[in-house]
Amino acid sequence: MTDQNEYADAVRQAVANALGVDEDEVTPDATLMDDLGAESIDLLDILFRIERAVGVKIQASDLGDEIQGGIPDEEFGAGDIVSRKGLEHLTTVMPQIDPDEHEGKLRAEEVIMHFTVHNLTDMVSRRSGEREPA
Amino acid sequence: MKLDGRIALVTGASRGIGRSIAEALAVEGAAVAVNYRSGAAAADETVQAIEAAGGRAIAVQGDVADFADSERVVQATIDGLGGLHILINNAGISRDALIYNMRPEDWLDVMKVNFGGVFNCTKASMGHFMAERDGSIVNISSVMGQRGWLGESNYAASKGAVNAFTRCCAMELARFGVRVNAVLPGFVPTELVEGLVAKDGGKGILKQLPMRQFGDTDDVSGLTVFLAGPDSKYMTGALFTVDGGASAMLGTGAPL
Repeated sequence: MTDQNEYADAVRQAVANALGVDEDEVTPDATLMDDLGAESIDLLDILFRIERAVGVKIQASDLGDEIQGGIPDEEFGAGDIVSRKGLEHLTTVMPQIDPDEHEGKLRAEEVIMHFTVHNLTDMVSRRSGEREPA
Repeated sequence: MKLDGRIALVTGASRGIGRSIAEALAVEGAAVAVNYRSGAAAADETVQAIEAAGGRAIAVQGDVADFADSERVVQATIDGLGGLHILINNAGISRDALIYNMRPEDWLDVMKVNFGGVFNCTKASMGHFMAERDGSIVNISSVMGQRGWLGESNYAASKGAVNAFTRCCAMELARFGVRVNAVLPGFVPTELVEGLVAKDGGKGILKQLPMRQFGDTDDVSGLTVFLAGPDSKYMTGALFTVDGGASAMLGTGAPL
């Protein structure tokens, strides 16, 4: 079993190198897009760097799929605002999201703005587990 | 040799400029996948010529105008030669006609092969290049993408699209250690342009060329090998003419 720290290091380095920022700016709680200013091509760069470093492949489209957790669009964000069901799911992939605080206010397209370095590390960690034989 | 251990895919490599590029890459040590659509015998000749010179090559059938075919060609190269580092998007066709006489399918067919082929093979191989953080793509375009010529509106438009795509693709792939450049040949007598030089042996064109001679396929393949290899490692998103000075001129360069 690979140490969680190895993934945290790999993600931090990937983010720092892709964005051209110092590693100490890439804190676990920093949001990739909002705090660190990542654009879509930066996310792609980050994901390919992670794949090279630790061999865990995550497609850019997987990011959105995992955030939405397979919940159909209309159930996840009816009227563009994330539903209670959607918020409950988000707590599993983005634990910093407080459903009570965001209920009725969080727009579906804004969810990705809350995605942090730590959330990405967790995703890499989960994906690596999926690849290992049971 | 500059390309030892490198693996290249050249589309439309059974004849003309593509064949010349395939052979030139092999001379520098690259293993080459010789893609062809319908000229199996000619593709085999290219492979045999490379092997006779001590190189390594395979022939890979596939129509680059079709995305599924392009994916198959890329995968067959990776499986057959053990990797992919260099993509030469060379396959091209022409359907010359005045616009007034041109059938709608004439522009679409040309666009599907000349630009669609570049898009399809780039798209089919880019994930591999990005994951490896290594790769060089050279698009064989044409000076016709930058200038006008009677009866070549569809061909010129397809090459203009290739030129624009080359710049954008270079921007998107630079981050991943992958370079994308284009070579823009002028008049190189191959089957593709035989109509242009058939009349009076091409004299009417020659007298408009500053160098007063047509290009050889070697002139194109030499630059292509350079762009594919390590000596051009800081060059990307650039368009290079190989045209004997043709597109440097304003008009005929002098009073007629």
